[in-house]
Amino acid sequence: MEITIRVNGQERTASVPPETTLLTMLRANLGLTGAKLGCDVGDCGACSVLVDGEPVNACLMLAAQAAGRDVLTIEGLGDFQELSPLQEMFELFSSFQCGFCAPGMIISAKALLDKTPNPTAAEVREALSGNLCRCTGYTKIIDAVMEMASRGAAESERA
Amino acid sequence: MRPFEYLAPSSVEAAVAALAEHGPGARALAGGTDLLVDLKHDSVSAGLLVDLTRIAECKVIEETPDGLRFGSLVTHTQIMESDLVRRHAPAMIDAARTIGAVQTRNLGTLGGNLVTCVPSLDSGPVLLALDAEVTIAGTGGRRRMPLGEFFVGPRKTALQAGEVLVDIVLPRDSLGKPCSFRKFGLRKGQALALVNAAAATRLDGGKIAGVRIALGAVAPTVIRATRAEAALDGRSPDPTLIAEAADIAATEAKPIDDFRASADYRLELIRTLTRRVLNEAIETATS
Ligand SMILES: Cc1cc2nc3c(=O)[nH]c(=O)nc-3n(C[C@H](O)[C@H](O)[C@H](O)COP(=O)(O)OP(=O)(O)OC[C@H]3O[C@@H](n4cnc5c(N)ncnc54)[C@H](O)[C@@H]3O)c2cc1C
Ligand code: FES
Ligand code: FES
Repeated sequence: MEITIRVNGQERTASVPPETTLLTMLRANLGLTGAKLGCDVGDCGACSVLVDGEPVNACLMLAAQAAGRDVLTIEGLGDFQELSPLQEMFELFSSFQCGFCAPGMIISAKALLDKTPNPTAAEVREALSGNLCRCTGYTKIIDAVMEMASRGAAESERA
Repeated sequence: MRPFEYLAPSSVEAAVAALAEHGPGARALAGGTDLLVDLKHDSVSAGLLVDLTRIAECKVIEETPDGLRFGSLVTHTQIMESDLVRRHAPAMIDAARTIGAVQTRNLGTLGGNLVTCVPSLDSGPVLLALDAEVTIAGTGGRRRMPLGEFFVGPRKTALQAGEVLVDIVLPRDSLGKPCSFRKFGLRKGQALALVNAAAATRLDGGKIAGVRIALGAVAPTVIRATRAEAALDGRSPDPTLIAEAADIAATEAKPIDDFRASADYRLELIRTLTRRVLNEAIETATS
């Protein structure tokens, strides 16, 4: 079936079988490999993307269910030449090690800061509880989000 | 996932017709947080998925003459953010916030949670404690039943083949009824309940009136502890009475031993959580 989704501000169309997940369409059909395939069943959050501004597990949504909606992936934030302020903050804090969880973690952090610009540490932990990291101890991830919030730069993150 | 066909009708009637036309191989799809996992594990099969997420009627929370109506496709996040729910049934928010993580709550729906009918489903106890009713649609039209009758057994509801859950209604009498929910899992985040519990009650001249106790993860479906309720109604609340009721509730449950916890540990949790939710509901009713 032919599916059109607005991805990172651009209309993107692909012809895919109905059982294609949003994650597969993004990665295999649209070449956006930022969102990762981890557990494939909703536990790890590596596949997190925003649909109409809300984080979801792209592995548990059919591409067809995202048709006509607005999807933001990590590629929509910034690139290697120009990182977004939030991405820079994670770099500054050396938040990640292998980086596999990073795209999902950053997307979840962005969703939180868009809604709650001044979160408590408990709110940050709650917002990131669907994103597992096997390398770090989460501390530097949470610190980066708290610092970002305290600099009030959340506003400039809006894509 | 194995190949399937896909339809996204925009009305309940069209969904019911599609399910009827395609017979047993067709399944309703809501948030997919249970169904897509089952399809990936090949533990269920489907020739056709009828996606209900484009049915506007099923995506709203609204006050009606009957009470508070939740379309079956309302997500757990929608419940958490609803002013109507905050005003009339805040315990539903306490339950919704314990389900999965943000990402799962943005996809997962109230109707999908109830239809899975696993013993641990977290939206069940509060809804049972508040006497929720559900509307079911089939090719023959719509029917209404108490949620307690909708839960038939583990993973088995009163839905007949091809029927769709349309909405969940909290009756007017239950709106504002003091209610408390507690869940105990092995972690704070993303943990299934070892036991979950809700209690709702009013006080009438200082006496417990219309008390409801509902327990999850301790029997084949979410259950009411009706003998414990009977021991409480009409009495003045005091710690001994509450402890007695909690002991009775534990005798009404049939918890199992599994890799998460032993049956004995669950019985202890039932007593503790029942005491807590009763005390909290009574405290709210007093203030
Ligand atoms: C990581 C993770 C964590 C989770 N944590 C919890 C938790 O803490 N607590 C908890 O209770 N659950 C939890 N769940 C389970 C699940 O998210 C919930 O049960 C959710 O509410 C299911 O809703 P859904 O819309 O995703 O259902 P779907 O997966 O779309 O559907 C589930 C079943 O219901 C049927 N169905 C759905 N809607 C209807 C309808 N309106 N009419 C007829 N049939 C219908 C489908 O055919 C399917 O058989 C978790 C799941 C995941 C993946
Ligand atoms: S890959 Fe989607 S949650 Fe793990
Ligand atoms: S940095 Fe390796 S999984 Fe998080």
